[in-house]
Order: sequence, then C-alpha cells, then structure tokens
Amino acid sequence: MSIEARPQAVRFGRPFRFSFAFVLFLISVAIYVCTAVVTGEVNQLSLAGLSGLFQRMVALGLVGLGQTFVILVGSIDLSVAALISVVAVLASFIMHGEPAMIAPAIVACLLVCLVAGCVNGMLVGFGRINPLIATLGTGLVMQGVLSTAFSFMPGSVAPRFEAFAYSSLFGIPYPVCLLVILAIGASRVLSSTPFGARIYSVGGNPEGARMAGIRTERVVLGAHLIASLFAGVAGLFLAARLQSGTPWVGRDGIYDLESIAVTVIGGTILAGGNGGVAGTMAGVLLFASLDASFNMLGVDAFVKQVLRGAIVIAAVAVHAVGNKEHVA
Amino acid sequence: MTDAPALQMRGIVKAFPGVVALDHVDFDCFAGEVHAICGENGAGKSTLMKILGGSYRPDAGEIRIRDRPMRFTHPVEARAAGISVIHQELSLLPHRSVAENIFMGREPSRRGFLDRQQMRQRTAALLAQLGTSTDPDQRVGTLSIASQQRVEIAKALLFEAQVVVMDEPTAALGERDTQFLLQLVRNLRKDGVAIVYISHRMPEVMAIADRVTVLKDGRKIWTRPQASAEVSAIVTAMVGRDLKDFYPKPPLVEPKESLFSIENGENAQLHGIDLHLRVGEILGVAGLEDSGKTALAQAIIGDVPLKVGSMTLRGKPETILSPRRAVAHGMGYVPADRKGEGLLLRQSVRDNALLSLRAMAACFSRPNRGALAYSKIDDELCSMDVRAADFGQPVGALSGGNQQKTIICRWLAQASDMLVFVEPTRGIDIAAKAAIYETMRRFVDAGRAIIVISSDLPELIGISDRIVVMHRGRIAGELPRGSSEEAVVALSLGLGMRERQDAVV
Repeated sequence: MSIEARPQAVRFGRPFRFSFAFVLFLISVAIYVCTAVVTGEVNQLSLAGLSGLFQRMVALGLVGLGQTFVILVGSIDLSVAALISVVAVLASFIMHGEPAMIAPAIVACLLVCLVAGCVNGMLVGFGRINPLIATLGTGLVMQGVLSTAFSFMPGSVAPRFEAFAYSSLFGIPYPVCLLVILAIGASRVLSSTPFGARIYSVGGNPEGARMAGIRTERVVLGAHLIASLFAGVAGLFLAARLQSGTPWVGRDGIYDLESIAVTVIGGTILAGGNGGVAGTMAGVLLFASLDASFNMLGVDAFVKQVLRGAIVIAAVAVHAVGNKEHVA
Repeated sequence: MTDAPALQMRGIVKAFPGVVALDHVDFDCFAGEVHAICGENGAGKSTLMKILGGSYRPDAGEIRIRDRPMRFTHPVEARAAGISVIHQELSLLPHRSVAENIFMGREPSRRGFLDRQQMRQRTAALLAQLGTSTDPDQRVGTLSIASQQRVEIAKALLFEAQVVVMDEPTAALGERDTQFLLQLVRNLRKDGVAIVYISHRMPEVMAIADRVTVLKDGRKIWTRPQASAEVSAIVTAMVGRDLKDFYPKPPLVEPKESLFSIENGENAQLHGIDLHLRVGEILGVAGLEDSGKTALAQAIIGDVPLKVGSMTLRGKPETILSPRRAVAHGMGYVPADRKGEGLLLRQSVRDNALLSLRAMAACFSRPNRGALAYSKIDDELCSMDVRAADFGQPVGALSGGNQQKTIICRWLAQASDMLVFVEPTRGIDIAAKAAIYETMRRFVDAGRAIIVISSDLPELIGISDRIVVMHRGRIAGELPRGSSEEAVVALSLGLGMRERQDAVV
C-alpha cells in the first residue's frame, strides 16, 4: 500500500460533522431573520440593512480576532479597551482634521500598539506574570495616562479618514471588507503557518512545547503583539466612525470583556490550545444579530444587558457539555 | 561492540538540598542495545534521566554521545544531540491532530505556509514503521493511551534520535499493549537505536534488556548482562539495606475484632479489593507507584470512592462517598502531600489542629467553647509534643515532623478510631520519625487501628503488623509481620502471584 494513498482513504470514511462555528453562524442568522420577519422590518434584510448589521460587527470583531490569538496561546488581554481609547484619541489628536496627517497618525498609532503589545508580551511571556494581572495593570496605566493627558476633546480626524468608515465598495462598507480580509488572514496564519501551529502548541501544553524546542516566550510575545495591533485597528476604525476619539471609547464599549466573551462563545477554550478565528467571528455575529434583534423588538436597554449575559453563559455551557462528551 | 558507546555518562553527581540524588554514577549504552535501569522509588533513576534529557544539570561528571563530550543546558540541546526522552506523562496536545503533534516545533513549511501534505505523508510513513495505521488527521485526544504512546515514539523517530530513553513506558498500558510496545522496542533496537529502558516490572526487563543496571540510593550497585542477572539478584540489589530497629514493639495480644473491611471493592483504579482491618493493628499497604495503593487510600476516605463493593465499619455496612462522611464515621486521613492536602500553611498550628472539629461542628457553634476551646486543643498539642514557639504561629513555619504531629492531633481531637496514613514520614528527620511511629503504635493500642501506605519498605515492614501488597490495582498478596523486603518487592513486581493463594489461605 502506498503511503500517499492512505490519508485520503482514511479521510473518506470520516463522518461529516458541522463545526461549532458553523452551527453558531446558522443560529445567529436564524435569530436575525426570524426577528426581522416577525417584527415586519423586512427592509433589515436588504443589502443596506445587512451592511448595517455587519457594521456593528467591525469594532468587536477586530478586537476579538486579536483576543483569539492571546487566548489560544494561553494568555488573555484585558488592556485592549484602554488601548483602543489611546489609539482613538491619539489618531484624532495627531490628525487634527488635516488629511496630510492621516498616514503619520496611523503609523504612530500602530507603533504605540506595538509598544503596548511588546510590554504585555514581555510581562506575560518573559516575566511570567499572570496575564490577567499584567494586562489589567498595563490597561490601567494606559487609561490613567490618557485621562490625565486628554481631559478635553483632542480635535477630530481628517474628513477623508472619516469617509473611510462610511463609504463602501459595491455596497459593502469598507470597514466590513477590512474585517473580512483580516479575519481570513488571521485564520490562515493560525491554521497554516508554523507560527500558528506554535500558538496552538504553547497554549495546549506549554511544557511540552518547550521540550519540543519551541521558544514559548517568543510565541506568547508574538500573540500579544498581534492582539494589540488588532485593538489598534479597532481604535482607528472607531475614531473614523465617531469623527473623534474620546478617552472612554474603549471602556464604554466594554471591548475587553466582550472580546473575551465572543472568543469563548466561539469555542476557543480559555486555557488555550483549542479554537480558532471562525468561532470568534460567529460569536461576534451572534452578538451583532442579538443586538439588532433586540432593537427591532424594542427591548429595554437593561433587559438587553441581562439577556446578553444569559446568552454568554448558555453558549459556553453548551460548549462545555459538548466537550465533556467528546473527551470522555 | 568495539566502537564507542552511543551514550556514556561518567561520574554523574547531582545533589538536591538535603539529599544526594546521584553519587558518581557511571552508565553507558551502545547502539542497538537495550539497557534497563532498575531501582526502587527514589533510587535516582528519574534524576539520571532528567540529566540526560537536559532538564537538570549535573553537579559533576560528563556525558558523551558517540565519544563527543556534551553539555546540556536546555532540553532542546539534548534533543539536538540525538537524545529523545519519552516521559511517563506524555507531552501531547489532545486537541491537535497526530501529524501536528509529531511535528510540534518542527513544522515543515513552504513559502511560509505549513506543508500539510508533507506532514501527513511523513506521519503516515512513521506510523507505518511503528506498525500502526492511525489516521494522521485524527485528534490525539481521541486515541487510546497506547496509541498516544506510539505518537510519542514517532516523535522520537522523526528526530532520528540515536538514544531513546523510556521512563516506565508500560505504566499505563494493559498486557496486550505492553507486548506491542516491547515488540516496538525490539524493532528500534534492530534499527541501531540505543535504548535506555527504565522499569520496575521485572518480566519486561527480563524479556527485553541486553544489560541491566541497578541503582540504589543514588549509587550504581552493578551492571550485568541480562543473561547473568537473575531476577532475585536484581531484587536483592535493589533492596539491600539494613533494617533499623527504632520501630515500636508489636502488640502482645493477637488482634481479632474486626474494625473495618472492604469486600470486592472496585473503581477505575482498583479491582477486587478485599481488605480487613482489625482493632489494635497497623496494616501496611505496599506497592509500586502505579499499583493503586494511593487509590486505595482515596477510596477508603471517600475522596475517590469505590464504585462497586461493600464496606463494613464496626460490623455495620457503610458507604463512604465523601471525605465528610469518612470523618463523621471516625476515619482520619494523614496525606502524603502534607502541604497540599494536609495543612492550611498560612494558618496557625491551633487552627490546623482544630480543622476537622470545626468542620464537623454545627454552623453556629460558638468558637473557643466546649470541644473547640483553645485550651483543650493546646493540651492535645502539648501531649503530642508539637514543638512550636506558640500555637498561634503559622503551621508552615514548623518542621515536617511537627506538621505531621499537628495533623495527627487533629484526628485525635476528633476522636477518630481509624487513621489512614500515606507516606507517614516522607521528608521527616529520623528523631521525629521514631516519635511518629511511637504515636501510631499508642494510637492502635488504645483499641483503634491504622492503615499505612508507604513506599519506604523498611518503614512499612518495621511498623506494620501485616502487609498487603498491591500490583496493578489488585491485592497481590498478604505477608505477616517481619517478612523480608525481598518478599514484598517480589509481590509488588508482580512476581510470585502463585504464592498469593498460600499467603491468603
């Protein structure tokens, strides 16, 4: 028997199973469509309505992509909300309405993100500080510096930059295109590069990974850099969307905890080593379609919050039960 | 075998605070040879292997691979030198595929992307070489332990390791998988790999080894070709030490009245356990690390309860499904991991001694009154001779012996009439050991009983009135007081299962 033939032959006989992400995706779509039909707001199903739905996904989606990397590697990043605020404020401060400053502002913001990610990664990877504490600390520091330095509105972004958030390509908003491209890219990195494989290895069994010769600290650092960069892109998007950044934009959006929530809903386990981008994106879609549905139904804001919380717990519980069966 | 050995270790010394784990150990292994290392728990086998694998650095001595001196500061360097250690605990990623596991840290890539085709093909080829047809895409978590072990070995093959170290590879395997693994080791040997095989299962060692080295207390006793090393000689060399006579005297009257018994006890790790404990006796339980002796302790005190079987306590049938029930029925547990399971290290000596009393007291019983009074527990601690500057001092600051006495005090205060000791004197100095043995004896002489589980054989033989020996989750035999270490070791190695009938009857 030739070796080449074997893998295919075996793969053929495997039962087809929907992935968890795909099921979550279907549920989200069903919720959205049903609510639209029931409430009679059928125009929500038009291209414009859908692009509105997807627009809601962008900021959380971007942060969630980054969070997926750090959670997969067995870490976590609580500083993303503060970093988003820093980037949004910095972008509008540097641009100050001038189109010429768009590129320098973006570069400066991403550099700040690299520094923040580097600090987080160093603390967690090399300093072996518990990631919850380390990133909570860096987040507090960033928020503190930001609040002291910019208690006023720091100006607004350039109009051309703002336009990016509102214009679209063949009816698909640019930010949505950006999210899709970055999500595909992130998924490719995780599933088909050595770096991605190492992220799974380090998250799954740090000691085993070290024994296999992986420099685990560097992998952790890399994951944190990626998470910060994604948070930065989300911050830039929010600055464009809101015309100017405020020092509380990240905190008010609860991007730190919600990004963790969507990642975990998507099936990435908090311990690391299992999960992926597809699940996170499905989690974000679930949040967005729930939000949109609650709006269509006119659910009270506080009740909305309660329902969201309940759904997070339910989703994770379903996953935990499914996983237990699988393991045992 | 005129050429240099594939692996040579000379004069290896490694000391840890308080113990010399390895004392000038020489060891070598030729290509195409299986060299077994035997020794009791704590003889230094694992330390030697950790040095070879680059996890520990030796204090003195040298390692040569094919006559080139080596110095390892990290496991990666040992791997690069062609040494692959297959540990007892596997280091696999359960959520990832077989191929991804085998290539962990060494993923082949083409233009920056993983070359999955190549990973799959090479994995299939490696697995075929090992005689299995596991799907390279299957998740490792869904494989049996034996298949997982094959994946671990495939990792070593991928590395083209010249020296493969197997640390008790069959500990988790059943009989059939064990045979399969031994065949695999033979194939590796044929391919010219030097194999260091650590096991204390004698039948395996005799079946597979070309040479045998015996370690004891960090020293090499001897190395012999398998043909001239008899099982009995190996066992004697592994044990060979003097009994110390600081053990208390046995009871004058033969214990009769039954206190506690298990009939046909069974759970995931235990099979067909029949155990009888009589008033006034200390019953020893011996066995190897994976024999189920710890599982037995956990079953008795309800930590990991029995699934099947019946327990009888003072003639009444009882089921003990939780530690709380065990405590309520007067059973006390003195665990091996004092700091982890036994004590609240940051709380005071007094708090620790009062722990179970308070746990069993009613929710609103008043503190420092009645049985919970400090004065009462202080008396208890004093009579136990717990040496602390002040009983309000954190128990973590006490010596191991005093910590152990504090735990014993806890059960005395609780008026327990049966104690389960696991490794009663691990990490305790000689003087405190004698005091603990004395207390144990006094405890049973007052009409109570003790089950003691220990891997320290002289201790077990010295203190026990009877010894049951466990092997692979079963009771392999029972020995009377004063049996030889050789007899205990033989039973625990799974030898002489035939004598079992004689011993029990």
